[in-house]
Amino acid sequence: MSRILEIDDLAVDFDTRFGRVRALDGVSVGLEAGETLGLVGESGCGKSITALAVMGLVPTPPGRIGAGSIRFCGEELIKAPKSRLRNLRGAEIAMIFQEPMSSLNPVFTVEDQIVEAIMLHRPIEYDAARREAVALLERVGIPEAAQRARDYPHQLSGGMRQRVMIAMAVSCRPRVLIADEPTTALDVTVQAQIFDLLGEIQHEFGVAIILITHDMGVISEMADRVAVMYAGRIIEEAGADDVLDHPQHPYTRGLIACIPTLEDDASLREIPGVVPPLHALGRGCAFADRCAYMDARCRRERPALAPTGHHANACLAVAEGRL
Amino acid sequence: MDESAQSPAAEAWIAFCHNIPALAGLLILLGIVALTLYGTLFYAGDAYEIVWAPHEKPLTESDFPLGTDYLGRDIVAGLIAGGGPTLAVGLCAALLTMVIGIAFGALAGYYGGWVDIVLMRITEFFQVLPALLFAMVLVTLFSPSLVTIAIAIGVVSWPQTARLTRAEFLKIKELEYVTAARAIGTRDRRIIWKVILPNAAPPLIVSATLTVGVAILFEAGISFLGLGDPNTMSWGLMIGMNREYILDAWWPVTFPGLAIFLTVFSVSLLGDGINDAFNPRLRER
Repeated sequence: MSRILEIDDLAVDFDTRFGRVRALDGVSVGLEAGETLGLVGESGCGKSITALAVMGLVPTPPGRIGAGSIRFCGEELIKAPKSRLRNLRGAEIAMIFQEPMSSLNPVFTVEDQIVEAIMLHRPIEYDAARREAVALLERVGIPEAAQRARDYPHQLSGGMRQRVMIAMAVSCRPRVLIADEPTTALDVTVQAQIFDLLGEIQHEFGVAIILITHDMGVISEMADRVAVMYAGRIIEEAGADDVLDHPQHPYTRGLIACIPTLEDDASLREIPGVVPPLHALGRGCAFADRCAYMDARCRRERPALAPTGHHANACLAVAEGRL
Repeated sequence: MDESAQSPAAEAWIAFCHNIPALAGLLILLGIVALTLYGTLFYAGDAYEIVWAPHEKPLTESDFPLGTDYLGRDIVAGLIAGGGPTLAVGLCAALLTMVIGIAFGALAGYYGGWVDIVLMRITEFFQVLPALLFAMVLVTLFSPSLVTIAIAIGVVSWPQTARLTRAEFLKIKELEYVTAARAIGTRDRRIIWKVILPNAAPPLIVSATLTVGVAILFEAGISFLGLGDPNTMSWGLMIGMNREYILDAWWPVTFPGLAIFLTVFSVSLLGDGINDAFNPRLRER
């Protein structure tokens, strides 16, 4: 398989009242055609910024791409002209969002919005686009699609709206689909349906998915490979099973230990401490304050993502065999 | 889930139809518009012609139910003939206000940065000008006609609309469906006019309606001060021309004044009604 998307040493800065803050630092990750890459981490660790950077939608100002490159099928996106990015967006790289409640425009019918997405990128008659919109709605499992197509977003449930978003996202057969916590706002039962649908869509359309989530359970269901992010960096990357069964970085271990099990009668576990604010990162490892294996060197040096076989991690304790 | 699909506009219309004061406002306004448009069909009379003795009292002569003015012109005919220009000036001025205001506000709010700074400084420049004085200067500099009056009113009253539009754009552009629109590759221009503006429409429609009322008052004010077009009958002009004789004859001033009052009043009711219809939370109160 070929790498369809290649992110290399990407850095994104934000101007805040604490000065310039590096929200993404040296992020390198690749996406193979047709695979699912899970991007995991706590809130504010840079998952969504990575997604926005790929879409070319980092809000500027205050944001700014500081360094690095993003290549789609070998084509550099960072310096690409706006018009080129606009043509890629929706057509080749599509995105679905966290809040299906607010990611559809309330004053247009869902049909109008899907037709809009289709007609932006394809030379197609309005009527044909409409028929296709209804067919897409049927495909994503919306009952009575022809009638529902005339509905306004507020008339649909959250799960239905997320289905509409998926229909819209795949309407131009993109090669990359970024799903930014697509089920966070939905019921657990609906979550499962949406993930099933995403799996089917991926199979049928051959689209590669970047799945952003903080839920390790979702990762075990969906992802082929996982990149774990912490404070704007990738700290572990490997196949999904590898990460789940043999996590290396203490942070990943913590995340997996936090998954509640039915046998476990103890209360919910957590990783002690909080993510340090980005403007107050020291020289050392960003996780040091919360890490049980921390020693003096962890305070001084920031470990780079060091590959060990197929499994890469950024931890000095692992490298020194202290854990 | 509702059975029938309803656009937000359709829902607002249904809410509007349950609002008695708003409906009353709409009916009064439609009545006034109908009278000015079709009044001449059943009331023959020339507003500019001297037809009777000056200052004939109302309800004394059946041919001139509201009496005559200081020149002996029929007041009813004046009201009918003056309504059209008054309403037209109000409408055109409001239209101009909306066009300039929305263009400035939308671009400033959407693009932010230096575009915002430049456009807002221009807006502030117009905002701090004393509106009536500036309009008077414009009207006296150029020949006083309905067109110049409408332009003068439009030029002095757009800053508020610009600020309102900008505020709405600042709020809406951060919402997720705008990002989603960008994520499917929508152009900036299309996002401004097709994605954000329709969602910003409710307060702008209300503001536009109320601006019509303000513009009518403005026109009356300018005409009252004697700066209006003396060759085109309007309610403000009637008041202005007759004001010197108000102690001898109250009616040539009072009836056009009432007409202005009724029009602005009904426009306000209408604007309030639209506002309530678009804001479900206010509706419940």
